[in-house]
Amino acid sequence: MIKQQIEDVIKRTPSSISSNPLSAVFILIALAVIYTANRFPEKGLVGPELFPTLISVGIIVFAAADILSETQTEQELTDLNFRPPAVVIGLLMLYVSLMPVTGFLLGSMLLLLVLLHYSNVRSTTLLIALSVGFPILLFYLFGRIFLIRLPEGIVPISRLLPQLPLGVVV
Amino acid sequence: MVLDYITQGFVNVMDPFIIGLMVVGIFLGILMGSIPGMTATMTIAVLLSFTFTMEPAQGMMLLLGIYGGAVYAGSIPAILIRTPGTPSAAATIFDGYPLSQKGEAGRAVRISTIASFVGGVISVLALMFFSPVIADAALRFQSPEFFALAVFGLTIIASVSGDSLTKGMVSGLLGMLVATIGIDPITGYHRFTFDIPELLTGVEFIAVMIGLFGIAEGLRKYAEGINEDQDEITQDVSGVLPSFSDLRAIAPVSTGSGILGALIGAIPGAGGDIAAFITYNEATRWIKNATPSFGDGNIRGVAAAESGNNASTGGALIPTLTLGIPGDSVSAILIGALLVHDVNPGPGLYQDQPELLYTIFVGFLLIYVFILLFGLLGANYWAQVINIPKQFIWPIILLLTVIGAIALRGNLFDAWVMLGSGVLGYVMRLRGYPLAPIVLGLILSPIAEVNLRRSLALSNGSPDIFLNSPIALVILLLSVATILIPAVRALGE
Repeated sequence: MIKQQIEDVIKRTPSSISSNPLSAVFILIALAVIYTANRFPEKGLVGPELFPTLISVGIIVFAAADILSETQTEQELTDLNFRPPAVVIGLLMLYVSLMPVTGFLLGSMLLLLVLLHYSNVRSTTLLIALSVGFPILLFYLFGRIFLIRLPEGIVPISRLLPQLPLGVVV
Repeated sequence: MVLDYITQGFVNVMDPFIIGLMVVGIFLGILMGSIPGMTATMTIAVLLSFTFTMEPAQGMMLLLGIYGGAVYAGSIPAILIRTPGTPSAAATIFDGYPLSQKGEAGRAVRISTIASFVGGVISVLALMFFSPVIADAALRFQSPEFFALAVFGLTIIASVSGDSLTKGMVSGLLGMLVATIGIDPITGYHRFTFDIPELLTGVEFIAVMIGLFGIAEGLRKYAEGINEDQDEITQDVSGVLPSFSDLRAIAPVSTGSGILGALIGAIPGAGGDIAAFITYNEATRWIKNATPSFGDGNIRGVAAAESGNNASTGGALIPTLTLGIPGDSVSAILIGALLVHDVNPGPGLYQDQPELLYTIFVGFLLIYVFILLFGLLGANYWAQVINIPKQFIWPIILLLTVIGAIALRGNLFDAWVMLGSGVLGYVMRLRGYPLAPIVLGLILSPIAEVNLRRSLALSNGSPDIFLNSPIALVILLLSVATILIPAVRALGE
C-alpha cells in the first residue's frame, strides 16, 4: 500500500509542479537563500546565516508538500482578464519612476487623470476636478501639515501653492 | 486615596480646552489611521511639537486622542476595502471584509467601535488599578520568554491559512524571510542587501502590507472589471446602535480579548498588531462551531481583533508610566513628550505627580467614550464609502497607497517595495496563498530571531534555557497544544 502511494506521488510530481509553479519558484528562492547565507563570512553557532537557513528549509518542506498534496485552492482563473491589472500596475510603475521628474503634484494629477479615464470616467468636469483637486488636497495634508518631503520634480509647481498659516506654528 | 485622585483627575479633564484637544486628537487620529501607511506613531511624532507650549496634561490628551483614534480607525479601511489602515488592524480583515461583502459594513464598523471601546476601557482600568503588578510581570520577559511568545504568535498561521495549511506556512515563512533582509541585529552583517542603501534598515513592513492588501485588491478589482456593476452590494445603513443580540454575542469575546490585549500590550515590544492576531486566534480556538464560521464574516472575529488591539494602547502605557520603559513605539514618543515638560516617567511619578497621572488615566478613559460616540455616529457614513462607484474610488485608493508608502520614510524606494509586494500578493492570491501569514511572519520574525540567538548565545547553544524558564515553557507548551490539538481532533474525525 505504501509502495502504491509512493508510486502515485512520483507519477503526480511533474504535473503538480507545472500546475503549481509558484511553489516551485519559492523552492528555488529558498535554495538560493541557503546558498547565499552559507557564504556569509561570519558564521557560528548563532551566526547571521542561522535564521534565514532555518526559514528556507521550512519553505522547501512546505512548498514541496504543497506540490505533492495537489490542493485545489486556486481561484478560477479563466474568468479573469489580466490586461487591466497589467495596465494599472504599469501606470503605477511609470508614475513612481517619473516622480523625480514630474514631482508629486503634477505626477499625481496625470496619474489620476489617466487612471480615472481608464476606469471609464467620462465626465470632463469630474475628471479635471478630481485629478487636480485631490492631489492638491493630499499635498497640503502630507507636504504642508505633516511636513513629509514629497518630490518636487524639475518644475516645482507645488511652490506656487499658498502656504498654510499652520506652517508657522509647526 | 486612589478614588480621590480619580475624582480630581475627572475634575481636571472637564476643562473645555482639554476636551477640545481630545476631540481634535481623535479626529486627527481617525483621519490618519484610516489612510493606509499613516501610522499613529508618525502622526504623533509630527504633532508632538504642538504640545511643547501646553501643560503636560493638555499635551497628553491631544497625543492620546490621536493614539486611540488611529488604532480604532485602522479597522475602517480593513473592513471596507480589505486594506488595514494601521498594522494593528491586519487581523480585522479576516471577518470585517467578508461582512462588508455581505452588505453589513455598517454593522461591522459598529461592532469594531463597541469592541474598541470595551478593549480601551479595560486597558485603562488595568492601567489605573493594576499597573505596578502588571509592569512587574511584563519585566520578567527576557530573551527566552520573548522567543516563546513569538513562536506562540506564529502558531496563529494555522488559523489564518484558510483552505491550505501548507500554503499558509509557505506564506508565513516567506514573510519571515523578507524580515531577515538588512543589517543583522546581532553581528551587524549586511544580509541580502545587494549594496542597496535603503535595504540596510530592512524592508519597511508597512509598505509590504499596503502592497499585499491595497494594491493586490485593486488589481483584483480591475481584473474583474472596474465598471461592471453586477457585484455592487447594497449596504444596510439603518440604525446607529448594534442590535441587542449582537451586543450579547460579542460581550464575552470583547471582554476576554480586552484583558489579554492589555497584558500583551504591557510587554515592551509587543504592540497592537501582535495583540490583535493573538486575541483573534484565541477567539477562534475558544468559540466552537461559530456561525458563520470565523473568516466568513463572524462579528466575534471583528470584536476579538479590535478589542485586542485597542486594549494594547492602555497596556503599552503600563511599563511606560510605571517604569519609564516604552511598551511600543507610540509610548516611546509619549515619554519624550513628558520629558519635555520635566515629567519623568517611572516609579517616582506615582509619588511625585499622582494628580497628573490620574488626570491622564481619566482623560484616556474619556477619549474612549468619545471614540464610541463618534464611531457609532459615523459608522453608516463610512459604510456608504463602499457605495461610491468603483471607477472613482479605486484610482484614488491606488494613489493613496503610493503616497502612504512614500510617507513612511520620505523615499521612493518604499513605493517600489509596495508595488512589488502588490504584484506578489495578487499572484499569490490567484494561486490560493493566504496573505495574512506574510504580515504575521514580518512582524514576528525579528522578535523570534533576535531572542532565539540571544538565548542560545547565553546558554552556549543549549536549548535547556527555554525549559528552565517557567514562563517560556508554559508559552511553548501552549504553542505545541495549539498545533497538536486540532491535528489530533482532525485525525480522530
